[in-house]
Amino acid sequence: MALYGWELLRGLGITLTHFVRSYVRGTGRPPHPSPSSRPSPLRGEGDRVRGEGVRQPVSQDGLFTVEYPDERLAVPERFRVIPFLVYNGKGGEPLTEAANRCTACGICAKVCPPQCIWIVQAKDAATGKPKPKPSEFSIDVDVCMNCGLCAEFCPFDAIKMGHDFELSGPERQSSHIFDMPRLAVPTERYAQTHPIAWAEEEAKRAAAAAKKAVAAQAPHPNPLPGGEREKGEGGEL
Amino acid sequence: MTLQRIIDGQSLKSARWYDAKADAEIPVPVLGPDLVDVRRIPEIRVATLSGTGKEEPVPKSLPSCVAAPAVTPEGGRRELVAQITAAVGAGAVQAQGDALLIAPAQAVAVARFLRDEPSLRYDYLANLTSVDYQDCFEVVGHVISTARTEKPLALKLRAPKPDPRVPSLTSVWPGANFQEREIYDMMGIRFDGHPHLKRILMWDGFDGWPLRKDYLEPYYEEPGKMFSSRWKDGHHQRAEDRVRWHDNVQYPAGWDPITWKPSDEETAPPADNAGVSVQRGADGDLLVVNLGPQHPSTHGVFRMKVAVEGERIVGLEPIMGYMHRNHEKIGERNAWIMNFPYTDRLDYITSMGNNFGYAVAVEQLTGAKVPERAEYIRVIMAEFTRVLSHAWAIGFLLNDLGAFFTPALYAIEERELILDLFEMASGSRMMCNYFRFGGVAADLPPEFLPMATALVRERLPKAIDQLDRFLTRNEILTARCRGVGVLTPGAAIAHSTAGPVLRASGIRYDVRRAQPYSIYDRFAFDIPTATAGDVYARYQVRLAEMRESLKILTQALKELPGGEIIAGKRAWNLRVPAGESYGRVENPKGELGYYVVSDGTDHPYRYHVRSPSFMNLTVLEQMCRGHLVADVVAILGSLDIVLGEVDR
Repeated sequence: MALYGWELLRGLGITLTHFVRSYVRGTGRPPHPSPSSRPSPLRGEGDRVRGEGVRQPVSQDGLFTVEYPDERLAVPERFRVIPFLVYNGKGGEPLTEAANRCTACGICAKVCPPQCIWIVQAKDAATGKPKPKPSEFSIDVDVCMNCGLCAEFCPFDAIKMGHDFELSGPERQSSHIFDMPRLAVPTERYAQTHPIAWAEEEAKRAAAAAKKAVAAQAPHPNPLPGGEREKGEGGEL
Repeated sequence: MTLQRIIDGQSLKSARWYDAKADAEIPVPVLGPDLVDVRRIPEIRVATLSGTGKEEPVPKSLPSCVAAPAVTPEGGRRELVAQITAAVGAGAVQAQGDALLIAPAQAVAVARFLRDEPSLRYDYLANLTSVDYQDCFEVVGHVISTARTEKPLALKLRAPKPDPRVPSLTSVWPGANFQEREIYDMMGIRFDGHPHLKRILMWDGFDGWPLRKDYLEPYYEEPGKMFSSRWKDGHHQRAEDRVRWHDNVQYPAGWDPITWKPSDEETAPPADNAGVSVQRGADGDLLVVNLGPQHPSTHGVFRMKVAVEGERIVGLEPIMGYMHRNHEKIGERNAWIMNFPYTDRLDYITSMGNNFGYAVAVEQLTGAKVPERAEYIRVIMAEFTRVLSHAWAIGFLLNDLGAFFTPALYAIEERELILDLFEMASGSRMMCNYFRFGGVAADLPPEFLPMATALVRERLPKAIDQLDRFLTRNEILTARCRGVGVLTPGAAIAHSTAGPVLRASGIRYDVRRAQPYSIYDRFAFDIPTATAGDVYARYQVRLAEMRESLKILTQALKELPGGEIIAGKRAWNLRVPAGESYGRVENPKGELGYYVVSDGTDHPYRYHVRSPSFMNLTVLEQMCRGHLVADVVAILGSLDIVLGEVDR
């Protein structure tokens, strides 16, 4: 077959079109925030920054470049990286045993495919009996495969999947084992980062509490077999 | 040539920069199971054999095995058994439920009869694997007829312990070649009459048969998850601190990595892996060239040992296993649900499709009824996956042809938006982990449908048309692809190729039509085929399949009903009724099958993946012979392999 080189020219034409259009299209797009107005990407105190997010609308043809790290992709709420522990409280409040939603039931550790969750159940200091609280809770983030099964099966809404993907560190021996203080996030923060899930869970909890109130007023107070768990769920508020 | 001979003869130690003093302190890594300090091998061998090298000794009680299932004399296959008995002789086959249990001595005769008898015509070996039972090894095959639409017929061969041997079926179904090598490699079953029986995923100096139930892998903890060290008293400990020698790998007695040479001397590279060797005794034109394992054309770590005469290929051997992680062994330690995120990592371009196959296989055992809405969501996800996978395949075929990355990136533009859809529904772009037994993990978010509809209606057709316009009549593409890597229909069936590779050779076979799973029987779509069987035909079939996928997507998005997305309660510790099933789906790369055996517990007893990428490589040599080196790259690109799935 003879090659005349027309296709080479056509290919160059296609590339040139892309090149020109990359300057023309998306000009109406809002400018990315200036560095000073961006939230600090520094982590700490369970403060996970979502960043000033941009997302390509489907109506905009082609693809635009996200100028990371000045801009970053707005992540959908279900986006999952490393799990975190939710405790009842506001930002800045310390994690106390009472506020901790986790009951050390171990379902997350049992369902974890790479077995990266390690839990030590707390013991009562006086009697030595085990308590439904964790005294240690660590996740080996080198091993975590970000699957989200722990969050999916937690009956107490205590473990959720975080959005923070900027996790690189200079060493792995100590900083890649996330312990309980590192994993703990207050409900206030969780409600901001996961508004839809938060609203759904609150509605469910309210419904369960209402049901329980009705059951308490009912003439026969026999506890249902599932009563223990409902108490755990409803009692968090 | 002379220069090459000089280079070949040189030792590492004679190099000017080699520092003998440093050698004493820093270990010299060699190719091995992990990076191993060769000087410590005797030490490790003694330690692993005596069991003293580990803080936690290997437990004496091995994982319990289910007893070999009994033979049911009267199964559902009475007529077939009678037919085979009449032709081959009494005692050759017994029915075992839906499967045929074949006497090993007559296996080849029975297989030939099944293939050649006009009323049966089981011409396609879909899957071949093995199971380690208490008292025997069972080799399980699944055969189908490409002319009929029906469930595969399961064939079983039993091999006694401890030295299992069965006859090879490669003479009947050449597609058994790599699969038998894999069984030999993983379970140590020898196939008499196999032309080239040697390890395929593991390396030659490896000792042990990893998928046998008594083999304990490196960092072995317990027979199944969850591990008791994790909960109630779960003080974190790193795997390498738990085991003193950092792995449990045993080395065969007398094996020395320094003097060890690969078993196939004929085309082996020189011992120092210099890359190119002059074959002894041949005239000066015959060279053995290693393409890969680090080569942009291989899309991962994959090696083709190519014998070339001048520029022409005279022999080719695919060498794989560089990314082998024994997915199946991991799967057997996992609880059932834990395998979903692992299937994502098989063919990491098409994780939704991989989830689908596993869900189908296990649901055949549990009998879960998937709600309507979940079925539609599954189909929508699977078809989006097909579009993005084919866009990827076409884009990277151009890469392989030498148009470096510009057209590839144009081709996968729309993939970004499809991944956005996956991300908003499942939480992850590529490792979706979205399917569950009896449904899907989460309902679609409200913004999913408008975006999906806009994509399917406007963007994707435009993008496919654009590819078509730019490429289909492109003189460079046609010159490079037409008549290259031709695969005849007969060879395509015989070698068990699947997916676009099979259909480009003119075989109208698609699991979505042959054994409709989920709700594929409701949608109107065609199965595109081409007749030429070359690289260009495979490109055409992929392009046409993207259009068909859009047809399915349009219908599914329009008809998507409301309602539940998962049947019953979600169980994290699901118990699956005892039994076995082979579930298969038409993944973008071809037939993806999962063979699972359950002993009624919360872990799979056997978990096998029939991977289309792996099987399609069986025929690579035949397609490449006689072509130029540059064409090998194009042919491999047209097979569209993903190494996560090849090596597993």
